[in-house]
Order: sequence, then structure tokens, then C-alpha cells
Amino acid sequence: MKKIIHTFMLSCKKAAELIDKKSVVKLSRREKMQLKLHLSICEGCEVYQKQSKFIGELITKHFGGLEEEKAPQVKNEELKNNISSKL
Amino acid sequence: MKNAVDITKPSETIKSWVELYSDSMYSWALQKTSSKETAEDIVQETFLAAVKSFDKFEGKSTPKTWLFSILNNKINDYYRDRIRKPSISNSEFFESFFDNVDHWYEKETPQPWNEETGHLLDNAEFQSILKDCMKKLPENGLSAIQLKYQDEKKSELICQELNITITNYWQLLHRAKLQLRKCLDLNWFKK
Repeated sequence: MKKIIHTFMLSCKKAAELIDKKSVVKLSRREKMQLKLHLSICEGCEVYQKQSKFIGELITKHFGGLEEEKAPQVKNEELKNNISSKL
Repeated sequence: MKNAVDITKPSETIKSWVELYSDSMYSWALQKTSSKETAEDIVQETFLAAVKSFDKFEGKSTPKTWLFSILNNKINDYYRDRIRKPSISNSEFFESFFDNVDHWYEKETPQPWNEETGHLLDNAEFQSILKDCMKKLPENGLSAIQLKYQDEKKSELICQELNITITNYWQLLHRAKLQLRKCLDLNWFKK
């Protein structure tokens, strides 16, 4: 029985991998099912999923949804002079 | 004053562009690379490239748009280079998280963060720890994180521009996430 479960069940290593893979590419139906099954019985990976997603949100916010116009403006006179002298 | 482009005097024209745009270009490069030296180098290279290819500037776009397109290419080059930097092998890396049957080591098993996490987004102390944790990532992992979260560019496009496979990309991202989670766990949530 244990053996059967193992052939269907993902390892934690593989499950954690799929959790992050999911944020980049669509999982296959098989992968989706395997992950769902794993998460239903593995607390560690369920927590990992939550935290990985949360870290993504944190970093997005940290970078501030970058747009050229919105980047905090930093003056750099030295650089300006440096470049001008090289032109 | 309108900035009429005098194509007979490229260096004069570009000097005036340095005055006008170098600060906003520098600010942008700094945001994208989080490194003062790198940002300075990239902006400087952009202007030198602009001088060389000045005859390709046809006034179809504004000088600023033209300069930023060169700048963004240079920023992409920077990532392309960094994402190829080697780091320890996958097997060596994962060995520190997972045991010989690929389950989490007990001490590595993610535990719930008991703290209310919503407010952390605005907590300066936490932000500085997040920054430190990102600095500890290997160059290729940090690049993957920056590419993924800095703007909403599609993964396919990112990989195409950097000429890496999508598998390579999400694997780097996955490793970086594992490391960041652990670092935040140790330095914030378990403190």
C-alpha cells in the first residue's frame, strides 16, 4: 500500500518545485492533481505555498510596481559631469 | 526652450541630453539594478552608445524615448550576463533542505508565521531585512527575482530576451524563493 501511495504521491521536494513553477508556467493536469493531493496531506508544503506567494507580494511591493515615471528620482551631478567630460 | 536636434553637432546635442535626462535615467537604472556603480556604468555606456549611433536617431521618437530604449537594452544585457553566473549545483543546493527521501528536514519544514503579515508591507525594519536577504542571494537567483517581480513582463518574453529556457528560469526562481523564505524566517519571524 505504501508503495502505491508513493508512486502517486509527490515528494516534498517535487511539490515545492511545482508550487513555484506554477507561478511561471501552467501546470499539466497530472501535475495539478499530484500537487493538490500532496497539499491535502502535507502541512509543511501547504505552509510553503502560502509563504512563497506572500514573499512574491512582498517583493512586488518592495520594487513598487516599477514604471520609468514613478522611480524615485535621484540626482547624480558627479555622473553628469563624468559623462559630459567623456563626450 | 524646445530642444531642436542639431544633427550636425552630435556631441553638443548629446551633452544637452545628459543635462536633461541623465538623472531620470540613473534613477531608473538604480531601481532596476539596486547597485549604484552598475547604474552609473550603464547610464554612461548608454550615452556613449548614443553618440556612436546618433545617425540612427531619426527624430521619430523623442530623445528621451530613444535614450531609454538604449538604456533598457543595456539593463537587459546586465541581467543576461548575471543570470548565467554559475552557482552551486541543484543537488548540492537541495540537499540542505530535503532529506534522502526528498522530504523536508525537520528543522527546514516551513512553519506558519504566526504574526499578522499584512502590515509588514509597510514596516521599514522588515523592508530592510528583506533587502538584506535579497542581497544574500546568488547573482543568478537575484536576477530571476528582479525579472519576475519588477514589472509585469510575461515570463515567455523575459526568457526570450535573455535567451534562457523557461525551465531554467523557474528553477532559479524556485531556489531563490526557498532561500528568501528561510532567510526571512530566521531573521524576522523566529526572532
